[in-house]
Amino acid sequence: MKKKILLVEDEKALCLLYEEELSREGFEITAVTDAEAALAKLGETDFDLIITDIRMPGKNGIELITQIMGLRKDIPIIINSAYQSYKEDFMTWAADAYVVKSSSLDELKAKIRQLLGD
Amino acid sequence: MIETTSILSPDFERDAPRELMLLSIISQSFFQPFSLEDNLLVILTALTSGSGVGFNRAMLFLKQGDRLKGEMWLGPRSAEEAGLIWEVLSTPGIGYVEIVEHNRALVSKNVDTLSTRLKGLVYAADDENALIPAYAACRKEILLVKDASNEPLVDRRFLNVIGVEEFLCIPLLARDDVVGEIILDNAITGTPISAPDIKLAGLCGLMAGNYIYSATLHRKLLDVEKMAAMGEMAMFVTHQLRNPIVAIGGFTEQLLKPDVPEDKKVRNLAIIRDEIRRLEDIIYQMGHFLKVSLKEPVYFDPGPGIASVLSSPEIQTKAKGYVLNVKLEPCLPEILCDPTSFGEVVRNLLDNAFDATPAGGAVSIRGYSKNRTSFVLSVRDTGRGMTNPDKDQLFRPFFTTKDKGMGLGLSFIKRVMDTCGGKVEVQSRVGKGALFKLIFISRERELTP
Repeated sequence: MKKKILLVEDEKALCLLYEEELSREGFEITAVTDAEAALAKLGETDFDLIITDIRMPGKNGIELITQIMGLRKDIPIIINSAYQSYKEDFMTWAADAYVVKSSSLDELKAKIRQLLGD
Repeated sequence: MIETTSILSPDFERDAPRELMLLSIISQSFFQPFSLEDNLLVILTALTSGSGVGFNRAMLFLKQGDRLKGEMWLGPRSAEEAGLIWEVLSTPGIGYVEIVEHNRALVSKNVDTLSTRLKGLVYAADDENALIPAYAACRKEILLVKDASNEPLVDRRFLNVIGVEEFLCIPLLARDDVVGEIILDNAITGTPISAPDIKLAGLCGLMAGNYIYSATLHRKLLDVEKMAAMGEMAMFVTHQLRNPIVAIGGFTEQLLKPDVPEDKKVRNLAIIRDEIRRLEDIIYQMGHFLKVSLKEPVYFDPGPGIASVLSSPEIQTKAKGYVLNVKLEPCLPEILCDPTSFGEVVRNLLDNAFDATPAGGAVSIRGYSKNRTSFVLSVRDTGRGMTNPDKDQLFRPFFTTKDKGMGLGLSFIKRVMDTCGGKVEVQSRVGKGALFKLIFISRERELTP
């Protein structure tokens, strides 16, 4: 069965890119553009992994991670941000991996495989 | 009964004690928009002008790192020049501001001034075996030197420059640190330096030391603030640029794969084009924000400016699908602002209002005189409104409540309004839209016959 990934990314073009590229890798992608929508989806589906941006309109990625932890859902989380500097913020350490956005998705794909035990 | 007295300009009689006059001159200067150098000049002026202590010449050394460097030397070079200078300074009605102006010209002259002779003198600031003048700063003690030629502790090079046998060294202290030193003498009149002169000059030294300390701290603070703003900007720009670059790179990678269907090629190229346009826009906005140097405000009729913005294709396109209400009083006064920046400000406010309002909503612009000297231009939107924390941050560069945008518009508006002496106010509640009021200084229009 395909592994289910929840993608939280406010940039529409990037959302489309990740959706296509990760689907091609054999994952089932559910893409949303903000944290509120992500929380709603988490209530509906059991995901195997979450990929989230940090800077987004409304709730940011760190607030989203904090809320997911509060839900006691044991889902691996990858932060995928344009900012290198958030790595130093200990609030991001709760995530299982931190990948800086890049046009090559190799690192992101490798982290996904590692966390999903593929 | 209550009597009020101005805190900044106590008016002492000419025969007031010179200690009072001195303190008055120096403390008032700290409230003037003078630079650090000018304020140090005021202190030297106070030490050498008749209304102050009345030394003939004052020399200033400042500590830079671990060195004590000669910076400024105020006074006449000869008895002849002294006569000329003192004649100017004793002109009836001349105030201390004019004296400072005169002295500023004196020290900045390119000819052979005392200051140029002093510049080459540099001493280690913490040397136990220091010679005078550095000796006073190292020991943190006021020194009165007499018969200098026969005093082995006096540096010969310094003695050649100062050329007098009697002088006073006042170290400038701040929080137990030495920040500089002042050397005083009576080279022209030859008057011996008295004990009261030493005490008063010492008091001056304390004030100067603390002034240098706080001015240096203030400069450091400004540097730190500037660096923090630059850091914030760099971080923001990284994010703004990285997202489109990642999209361009990612969709290009897809195009390079074999057997890409034709429709996907076209779609990817369209995305790449759009992201490149976005990059161009970001670079344009950044360049505009960084370069904008505001011009001097002038009085002008804001009517044509507002009309021009409202009829611009950009606003006309944005206004489609909205209700735009415009209500300007019939005879607009002249307002004080830079006309070009004014147009940008109105365009920015309208842009924000349309962005905040859902399609079909109303945006209103009003212009009215609040009184004879202030004119209000307001823009109201019917969007989602703002929370109080958002309102507090609204004018910070790179802060935005929009889904897209750089967050530079409102900080630009604030800068323009500050420059022309105006104000910008915002009223908003969540779900109730926002009202931005620009309050300009205005005057009634001059009627042409």
